[in-house]
Amino acid sequence: MPELGRAALVATLGLVLYALVAGAVAARTRRRRLAESAQTALLLTFVTTGVATLVLLLAFARNDYSFVYVWELTSDQLPIQYTLAALWGGQAGSLLFWLLLLTVYSAAAVLLNRRASRDLTVWVVPVLATVMLFFAFMLVVVSSPFATQVAPADGRGLNPSLQNPYMLVHPIFLYLGYVGLTIPFAFAIGSLLARRKDERWIVATRRATLVAWTALGVGQLIGSKWAYEEVGWGGFYAWDPVENAALMPWLAATAFLHSVMVQEKRGMLRLWNVLLVILAFSLSIFGTFLTRSGILSSVHSFTESPIGAWFLGFLAFVVLGSLLLVFARLPLLRTRARLESLVSREATFLYNNLLLVALTLTILWGVTYPIVHEMFLGESRIVGPGYYNFFFVIFGLPLLLLMGIGPLVAWRRASLRSLGLTFAWPAGVAAVTGLVLLALGAGSSIPGLIAYSFSAFVLASIGLEFVRGTRARRALSGGSWPSAFAALVSRNRRRYGGYIVHASIVVLAIGIAGASLYDSVGEGRLTRGSSLAVGDYRLTYRDLVERPGANATLVRAVLDVERGGEQLGVVEAGKNAYTVERQVSNEVGVRTDYLTGEDLFVIAEQVNPDGSVYLRVFVKPLVNLLWLAGFIFLLGSLITLWPDAREQRRLAVRYRGAEAHADS
Amino acid sequence: MARKRNPARLVIALSVAAVLAVFLLYTSIAGDGTPSLAPSALAGKKGVVTLVGDVRPGYRGDSYAGGLRFKLSDRDGASKQTVTVVYTGSVSDQFRAGREVSVKGELRNGTFVAVKDSLVTKCPSKYTAKKS
Amino acid sequence: MSLALVLGALLAAACVILVARPYLREPVTEHDAIEGPGELGQRWLELSEVRDRALGALKELELDHRTGKVSDEDYRELVGPLRREAADALRALEPRASAQERVKAERPG
Repeated sequence: MPELGRAALVATLGLVLYALVAGAVAARTRRRRLAESAQTALLLTFVTTGVATLVLLLAFARNDYSFVYVWELTSDQLPIQYTLAALWGGQAGSLLFWLLLLTVYSAAAVLLNRRASRDLTVWVVPVLATVMLFFAFMLVVVSSPFATQVAPADGRGLNPSLQNPYMLVHPIFLYLGYVGLTIPFAFAIGSLLARRKDERWIVATRRATLVAWTALGVGQLIGSKWAYEEVGWGGFYAWDPVENAALMPWLAATAFLHSVMVQEKRGMLRLWNVLLVILAFSLSIFGTFLTRSGILSSVHSFTESPIGAWFLGFLAFVVLGSLLLVFARLPLLRTRARLESLVSREATFLYNNLLLVALTLTILWGVTYPIVHEMFLGESRIVGPGYYNFFFVIFGLPLLLLMGIGPLVAWRRASLRSLGLTFAWPAGVAAVTGLVLLALGAGSSIPGLIAYSFSAFVLASIGLEFVRGTRARRALSGGSWPSAFAALVSRNRRRYGGYIVHASIVVLAIGIAGASLYDSVGEGRLTRGSSLAVGDYRLTYRDLVERPGANATLVRAVLDVERGGEQLGVVEAGKNAYTVERQVSNEVGVRTDYLTGEDLFVIAEQVNPDGSVYLRVFVKPLVNLLWLAGFIFLLGSLITLWPDAREQRRLAVRYRGAEAHADS
Repeated sequence: MARKRNPARLVIALSVAAVLAVFLLYTSIAGDGTPSLAPSALAGKKGVVTLVGDVRPGYRGDSYAGGLRFKLSDRDGASKQTVTVVYTGSVSDQFRAGREVSVKGELRNGTFVAVKDSLVTKCPSKYTAKKS
Repeated sequence: MSLALVLGALLAAACVILVARPYLREPVTEHDAIEGPGELGQRWLELSEVRDRALGALKELELDHRTGKVSDEDYRELVGPLRREAADALRALEPRASAQERVKAERPG
């Protein structure tokens, strides 16, 4: 069976090469049949890659340890869901998964666009094929998932910290995000190659970009939850290069999502948009290069294999090639539209973009600095969280504020008169909130106080938008408040969906501020019966228990929790001892207060032979807002993505009209 | 209709200048990261550094009572030199002989005295972040 | 092993046939050219983008005015030029539009 897998991958490689060469020739010489043939080849890669994936999945399902890859990542005792998910758990399999998703995205993009813009699609095909070629080549030549061996009795087992429900979905979302960014990139490059001056490439890829961006955002949040619960050091983000590898393309994509709106409404920022999409895609490749090459001493590291060099080479090719093309087609990207006023919605979008790109580049510098320093000065350096946190606050707080200002400012030119009126309420709410919080003691952290005040401003301005909009809708066509509200959102999906997404970011910001800037911590060694006080809580160590689990022995310290005289129940923290993998994992105990969103976070640092335990306990205010924000984010995104029949018709008219006017 | 100069260019230029200024200010105050050294390069270095190396077999002590004493040598056996580290604070479950770790601290009288809770153990396989 | 071989061969054969299909279906054809929008089509696209932008801006201005973001004076100031822009754009897209009208629509303001 591994032979079938290998053959399927070779078939993919062949199809991709054909799609690239035939596609490029067809595009250059404008030959329809050749273009159709190349398109078919690209679509078929889904089938061949799918076959390879199925072969591997079947091997996992059967615990076939003659596949080296299966042996490396699973064991007989491993629950089935983790066995199957191990498909993307290692180097080669994750490349296969990436390629599979790429074939899906590409097939969808090509199928949805091949009738509407033949001349654009004909160039997009070879560009997509180029990206696929890299991954197919890696899988066939450099890192194959189908290496075989004489099957040992049992597998090596999966790292215990990956045996967690979050790890089942986190990679899926992240890859949907990373790979999805290929689509707008390919269409942008295709549009330049096709010498088109219009924004078809943006219209065609809007949905793909949104899906990718949403997936990448949700994936990171899931990763944070995993880090919070499973790695369990009390935090949820450590500015580790691997985490940054996902954050950077997401920030660039966020900037891109906003700036394409400016191009759509005002025809500006055309060069900027192309550069941004190249940046976003390049960062997604760079991110995966960082994770796999072992080039940085990060806490995560893939094996130090030659694969890093190949990725770097591909990245260099992508960046240089794209920039050369942009330079060659610069006249196409010229625009006559001008920024009319520094106080306009276009301007706030521009500021938003500048801040996001500045933050992205700052993180990029922090990640590459140790390598650069070592290359030129021989000595490596470590960039600590202090650097990242500083710039996160410097750029993040203005970004937070802009989320509230943007929606209140009109396009083209906003008079200060109008601004004064629309800002009055939200600014008032912000000021009052700030003062109240100051009185409640939030002044212990100035950035935190500012973050909360800005958050109040943004939430007030978003709330006002909904209220004013619903009121206007009702004035226009009557009906009840709920039906007017529904009609408002339904007729302006992108705007109000966007507001909901903004609200989710605000909730996220409040959660981050609370959990990072207003938390308390305490630690100590406890014997049975003794207690530890942290914040308002008091924990009393009752006993140590041992329980058998699915593939591990669970050791837990049982603690009684009390706050303000009230008994709040029990929290357990301890370790899991995994039999096959011969590893011990830390299992934190978390008690969530659903009313306040606060967590009592208990780490059993050390379980001693005499039954005493060394505990570290955190009180994390508002931390659960982070996970709530994820749901709001998803909701807002779905609303924005929801197809709008009216908009589809308008766009269809536009592009059919173009074809009717085409030279015959 | 007069062609106004595009304010966007000015805004972008000013923003870039502002960012660079903030950057320079930050690095001059907070410094540009702590040096990351292998044990063989530690001798004579002053100040707080981050030591990165492999844990030698034969460590003893309790990081929460008296301190954990272990020896570090260069990654992948690049050198025979070792450095003795005295560490207090949290220790990851992944910590054992042969694992790669990084720890922040200062060389004092021949022993590397670590900053509390600064020990980070790197995991040998993918996807595992074990922070202490 | 042999099953894998057979399946692999079938897969490869299917791919080759499907990829060659355009040529198998139409071995000889006169209409083998891919038509792009061409010079005229591109201009039409750009003009329709201008039209859509103008109409969209009008719609947004109306919404902003109704929700109180744009004051009455500002509305009166802005709506005139926007309406003219939209009218110019619509006129330029008419089949009998003159070159002058097209150029005017492309340079709003």
